[in-house]
Amino acid sequence: MLDVGRHPNISLLAYSEVEKVEGHEGDFTVTVRRKRRYVDEAKCTGCGACAEKCPTPVPDAFNAGLGTRKAIYSYFAQGIPSTHTIDPDYCRQLNGKKCGICQKTCQADAIDFDQEDKIVELNVAGIIIAAGYDVFDPSQIPEYRYKELPNVVTALEFERLLSASGPTGGHLDRPSDRAVEAEIEALEKKAGKATRMLEKSEKKFEETSKQFYEKYQQGEYQDDKDRQKWAKKYEDYLAIMGPLDDLKKKAETFSVAKRLAFIQCVGSRDFRFYPFCSGYCCMHSIKEAIIAHEHENETTSVIFGMDIRAIGKGFEEYKIRGGNHSNITYVRGRVGEISQGSNNNPVVTYEDTHQRVVKSQEFDMVILATACAPTSGVVKLAKILGVELDTYNFIKTSPFSPVDTSVPGIFACGCVGAPMDVPESVAQASSAAERAAEIAIQLQPGKEKVVA
Amino acid sequence: MNKDILVIGGGIAGMQSSLDLADMGVKVHLVEKLPSIGGKMAQLDKTFPTNDCAI
Amino acid sequence: MEELADYAETLPHVTFVQRNLYTCSEGGINEIKKAIKQENLTRVVVASCTPRTHGPLFMSSCGEAGLNPYLFEMVNIRDQCSWVHMQQKEEGTAKAKELIRMGVAKAALLEPQEPIMSDVQPRALVIGGGIAGMTASLSLANRRYEVVLVEKQEALGGMLNRLNKLGPVMTDADSMVEEIVEKITQHPKITVFTKSQVTEVQGFIGKFKVDIETDAKTRNVDIGVILVATGGRVFVPEGLYGYDGQRVITQLEMESLLKKGLNSSVKNVVMIQCVGSRNEERPYCSRVCCQTAVKNAMLIKEQNPDARVSILYRDMQMYGVENEEMFRDSKAKGIRYINYDPDRPPEVKSDQVNVYHSLLGRELTLPADLVVLSTPLIAQEDAVTTSQLLRVPADENGFFMEGHVKLKPLDFATDGVYLCGSARFPANIREAVAQGLGAASRASLPLSKGSVVVEPIISVLADEEACRGCGLCVALCPYSALEIQNTEKGRKVHVIDVACKGCGVCAATCYQHALSINSFTDQQIEAQIDAFLEAE
Repeated sequence: MLDVGRHPNISLLAYSEVEKVEGHEGDFTVTVRRKRRYVDEAKCTGCGACAEKCPTPVPDAFNAGLGTRKAIYSYFAQGIPSTHTIDPDYCRQLNGKKCGICQKTCQADAIDFDQEDKIVELNVAGIIIAAGYDVFDPSQIPEYRYKELPNVVTALEFERLLSASGPTGGHLDRPSDRAVEAEIEALEKKAGKATRMLEKSEKKFEETSKQFYEKYQQGEYQDDKDRQKWAKKYEDYLAIMGPLDDLKKKAETFSVAKRLAFIQCVGSRDFRFYPFCSGYCCMHSIKEAIIAHEHENETTSVIFGMDIRAIGKGFEEYKIRGGNHSNITYVRGRVGEISQGSNNNPVVTYEDTHQRVVKSQEFDMVILATACAPTSGVVKLAKILGVELDTYNFIKTSPFSPVDTSVPGIFACGCVGAPMDVPESVAQASSAAERAAEIAIQLQPGKEKVVA
Repeated sequence: MNKDILVIGGGIAGMQSSLDLADMGVKVHLVEKLPSIGGKMAQLDKTFPTNDCAI
Repeated sequence: MEELADYAETLPHVTFVQRNLYTCSEGGINEIKKAIKQENLTRVVVASCTPRTHGPLFMSSCGEAGLNPYLFEMVNIRDQCSWVHMQQKEEGTAKAKELIRMGVAKAALLEPQEPIMSDVQPRALVIGGGIAGMTASLSLANRRYEVVLVEKQEALGGMLNRLNKLGPVMTDADSMVEEIVEKITQHPKITVFTKSQVTEVQGFIGKFKVDIETDAKTRNVDIGVILVATGGRVFVPEGLYGYDGQRVITQLEMESLLKKGLNSSVKNVVMIQCVGSRNEERPYCSRVCCQTAVKNAMLIKEQNPDARVSILYRDMQMYGVENEEMFRDSKAKGIRYINYDPDRPPEVKSDQVNVYHSLLGRELTLPADLVVLSTPLIAQEDAVTTSQLLRVPADENGFFMEGHVKLKPLDFATDGVYLCGSARFPANIREAVAQGLGAASRASLPLSKGSVVVEPIISVLADEEACRGCGLCVALCPYSALEIQNTEKGRKVHVIDVACKGCGVCAATCYQHALSINSFTDQQIEAQIDAFLEAE
């Protein structure tokens, strides 16, 4: 990423979208909309002081919704460019309420609430589409109950949980447990407030709230308005402390998720959604199981799949190592249903096709290996560029010109063309670069070397 | 003089093709819809089979 | 982490310590640059992961801040410490402290160095005239570079010459070969040598000197970059499943049969997957055999519509979009799929195949007029020779090892040499074409720049007086980077700096201590050892 940001020949237009393309191979005119960040990219140092002070928490898309960021934010800590952005959907100032704390805090004077979108016109000889993919939304599979069961997560969410820079610092804390912790935090805040209110009365009347309340319950101070208020405050306080103690007791029993289930082909190889195979998900489940075991020695994982497609270089060996050293079992069977068990433990019901028996098994967490779906903006983008899509909305290429699209001068590489793993994406990216170079690099007649 | 190339998408594929072209002396305009480049790989923890950091 | 940072502050020469989660990020880099300028740092040490990933990044950042990049030292407390001592956290931290102490001691003795420039010949050598090699050649030639394409067989085409139809679109392999071979032979920038072999490679990126043997004549060519596209070959399963090349054949032999036209008497075909692969001898999955089997199964049905075709498999590796589609089509056409357990492999008899169907839980008897064994692609017989010739590594299966299996799949670690196609790992046509184009792109980078910059971490004749000209170092150098020259002071060694990889064998061998490696001098290494032996 850093290499891209620093290269003198790369002009990076982030937070931008292609709006119009005209022309033909060798001579395309492209209109790009540079969306307004409300932050001056040239001035922002990426220090983050604004985000610290911003009062508005927002679900964090980078952490797959598992954490929060602020209305003014940096997409992720190592992002390039490191410039911050204000989310117009959540910013109070931009939605008519009074705020502007970020602007007051910014030492670089980079915040500009009056910033406009910028339209840029580019003239290029060729275009490479590398728009990637989207994660399939498993809530479309009702029997997996993804939205209802807190401890059923997608592979990408699991990656964020595993990551040292993610919302749990790399601990496999279960989402249901995290929700309880969040509740505890909220209640503790309330309890803190209530305690401070009580302290005022305690000071005034020189006795503890508990002592006072006992007397009050036995009938004393019934006509004392102040003491009545105090009694009410104490009742409110008890109403918080009761549930808080219960939750805290519950939280003591929490541990990281150790019994993991990985369900392959969620959305893939499925006539209802995407009949194709997404290619890399068998491998990333194996990897996630191995890494989870590295984090916590007692982790056991079961991978439910039809065919386990470990087809890349070194992959079959990796899969076998996972089985031998990381407590991974492979079960051949497609999961029929995920239901709620005790203590928020998801229960997986499946047919073990080798044993020819239907079983149910409880786990701490279930990870769905979701399909590689065509990216959401691809239909619009294809229309703008005039390129053909296949039946699934991947960019159409032919087997023997694997990076050429239906439009000369426009190439496609990576998952936007078909689901693929990293080495294939990288190889295809170089292929697309080569094809584009054939158009872009003009040699002076008679000279051997390229004018670089 | 070389002509310019537009790359749409700042994930691993977009970044690699941009770098190759830039190293060849071609000016690349890299357009990314999110506030930062990196794509899905930046959201991954480690990659198989080497277990290297995804970033 | 905190403990290490605190410890680092106590070390001699250390005037500034910074703690970071991602030093390789833009923020981390800026902090290094800022610290260099503000704290007037004369050396920088980063203790984190492997220098192979981000070492060059940190070095050039030092350069950008005005500090010679070779006054930077990286201490690997990840691969060499935390990753290997994961269960021993206390001992691991103690070791990390020692590593940092050693790194600081060495850094104090580092000297500034300057990189070396060298020209690049605008000519590429492509070894292997199969689909990957031909694609790469055409692409580079279209970019106006000269290409020398060497093919050991009589004709170009590689594996394609032996194939029938190419899935999933069922293109005729012959017509594809014809088309691309014509483009190659017509191209003014491509020189083709068939029935030829590369017999010697000297030199280094930009200045390779290559010997090509053709018809008993040897040509010598100056080459800038080399692409390895030598492909793979089909494993012949002698002694397995009754293989006889007649009734029990390989998929490659099936291709020939289909091309000639299948005998109408062939009514029952049984294919067995994973023959000779995914076992102890050859643990890898050859990834192209399942799609080949399915394709051929469908072609059999096309030629003999009442043939019964069964495929006995462990996992059907029909990855991706096109393969999965072909898989579905094949089931619609009546191809039968039978899952078998590797611990209970099928038995091939004279006219039938017995298999335990692991999903039905019973033994099946399948009549079989023809048995087709899907065997893996394996490395070429001369893969070892090629790897020695080019001084590039190959793995335990004979496939060449790229620079990084994820992020540099088409580059070798050796500069100026690139890789594509089944020489790297079994690839189908689509993948081989993409890799051929990709390798051409990578190879064109030094070609387009016209010159390369060489790292100065190389051998130098530090003590000319001491050198006796014995030549022991020359004999041991794996990169042919040393030679003895007659000088006025007598026979002395001379380092060909652009070829030198700084491996250190020469400096370690020289009993006169005449040779030394920049940034790995005896004094620097001794300082590290002393630092390690210091009591805390």
